[in-house]
Amino acid sequence: MADLLAQIATCIERGKVNAASPYPPDMKGQDGANELVRKALDEGILPDDVLQKGLVVGMNSIGQKFSENKVFVPDLLMAAKAMQAGMAHLKPFFESGAAHHKGTFICGTVQGDLHDIGKNLVCMVVEGGGYKVIDLGVDVSSEKFVAALEANPGAVIGMSALLTTTMVNMEKTTKLVKEKDPSTKVIVGGAPLTDEFAKKIGADAYSPDPQGAVKFLSQVA
Amino acid sequence: MPELTSIERIGNILRRKPVDRIGVFEHFWGDTHKKWTREGHIKEGESLDDHFGFDISVCWCFNLVAKLNFEPEVIEETEETVLARDGNGAVLRRHKLHDSTPEHVDFLVKDRAGWEQHIKPFLTPDRARINFEAYRNVKRAAAERNRFFVWGGVNVFELMHPVCGHEYMLVGAAVDPDWVKDMVDVYSTLTVQLMETLFAEEGLPDGIWFYEDMGFKQRPFMSLDMYRDLIQPGHKKTIDFCRGLGLPVIMHSCGYVEPLVPGMLEAGIDCLQVIEVKAGMDLLRLYKDYGDRLSFMGGMDVRKLYSNDRSLIEEELASKIPVVKGHYGYVLHSDHSIPDQVEYESYKYFVQRGLELGTY
Repeated sequence: MADLLAQIATCIERGKVNAASPYPPDMKGQDGANELVRKALDEGILPDDVLQKGLVVGMNSIGQKFSENKVFVPDLLMAAKAMQAGMAHLKPFFESGAAHHKGTFICGTVQGDLHDIGKNLVCMVVEGGGYKVIDLGVDVSSEKFVAALEANPGAVIGMSALLTTTMVNMEKTTKLVKEKDPSTKVIVGGAPLTDEFAKKIGADAYSPDPQGAVKFLSQVA
Repeated sequence: MPELTSIERIGNILRRKPVDRIGVFEHFWGDTHKKWTREGHIKEGESLDDHFGFDISVCWCFNLVAKLNFEPEVIEETEETVLARDGNGAVLRRHKLHDSTPEHVDFLVKDRAGWEQHIKPFLTPDRARINFEAYRNVKRAAAERNRFFVWGGVNVFELMHPVCGHEYMLVGAAVDPDWVKDMVDVYSTLTVQLMETLFAEEGLPDGIWFYEDMGFKQRPFMSLDMYRDLIQPGHKKTIDFCRGLGLPVIMHSCGYVEPLVPGMLEAGIDCLQVIEVKAGMDLLRLYKDYGDRLSFMGGMDVRKLYSNDRSLIEEELASKIPVVKGHYGYVLHSDHSIPDQVEYESYKYFVQRGLELGTY
């Protein structure tokens, strides 16, 4: 069992989606996340173990390397694709309650801002960290964040902004969210942001990279 | 040293030869120009280049969209945004009320097959891709003011992602690198072909400015190895052509691209611009590591400018300019562009004080 879970973790970290995928070149012809997750479930390994001891281990490893600039966006995108291939097999177990997310993360780019690359990377890595991700997309109003929170009590809110003119909208959303439920945790990120700005607007954390969001979630979710 | 013309000054700065003072240039958000005009600081119709006495004039005159005659097809329009398909087959959502880069919603090209079917056959060196008149007019106006005139345009990285988006392009770089290499080759060849036509008919500019956004916060989009393998051949082809004509080359990149600088130097750039501080770029560190081989433009933290706090602006200028003017290779510029939160007086001070500190 441990070997199979370790192989799954390796497939995620290396971005090996399935047996047909030519990437990475040194794993050509080998089974990928798709086949190995299916095999693990067929062998009776618990879905939560496949998720937490296989998929999440691999995604956390690549996320950490990304934080350290040891791997780059193409590597992260391929890892996310492998993760999606594995997660497809777990979907029925989430629906039946046999598998569990660690928590829920509501994420979006703030109102007035249409940038989505950074937000998408965060969603991929957080989902790979074992959390349910509700991606609200771009140009998200404060009211939409609050509505998503009402539908998902206890979720953590993540906001992204690329522009100096739109990052100010984070303050309004943070205020509304905290008014709705003061215990809600808010994390912010994006090119013009700093830790100082996050504190100033009342957010609970700032992260310069996706893995920082996963670390924050592991502390609060 | 006697006062130099802008042509002499920037020409020397890009080659790190003695000058009278550092250069000055800037990019502004359209909203900033409108606001300062509305406030009465800038006359109606007056250019910011003229108002602040910038040393450089840039002309963008190439159109490398695949289908030149394609009329953007509006798919959805709201009070604030418009969603449309463009001549590259990309579906992009743009904000109508303020400046912003668009949301990438969908792309016709997701892989090599899409590229070969929808884009590649259309990328011919058609004269209609060149705005000869714009080039002629800007060149003439720059010459009248003795201003350094550059051809401006994007290079291969910024030509590929409007066709297939960053995600498909970067996944392609991993799973089908030959596809990305083909795109790089086609776009760099086309750029050179169009430059040959333009320069033969209208004369040479004083320099070249390629815009390539290859980084984001704290990291480049790719490793140095991947840059060398996939992107650098396109940079080399275009830069070799320009330098063969004696033209110095400025390369812009937003984001953190410090790990790529050795590869960009190998490709032949003369000047790195814009050195985005909030993304992690450090002008002083770059100067220390590469200042003898590379000129710089930018690296002044725009957050200090939109604080509108003179002491913070002064600190930013005084901590950097006396150092980076050392090899004569510096042009004053913010680390990205000037948004409309920057007050006119703050920016005016930035230029005046910057040039004061930057005078030799």
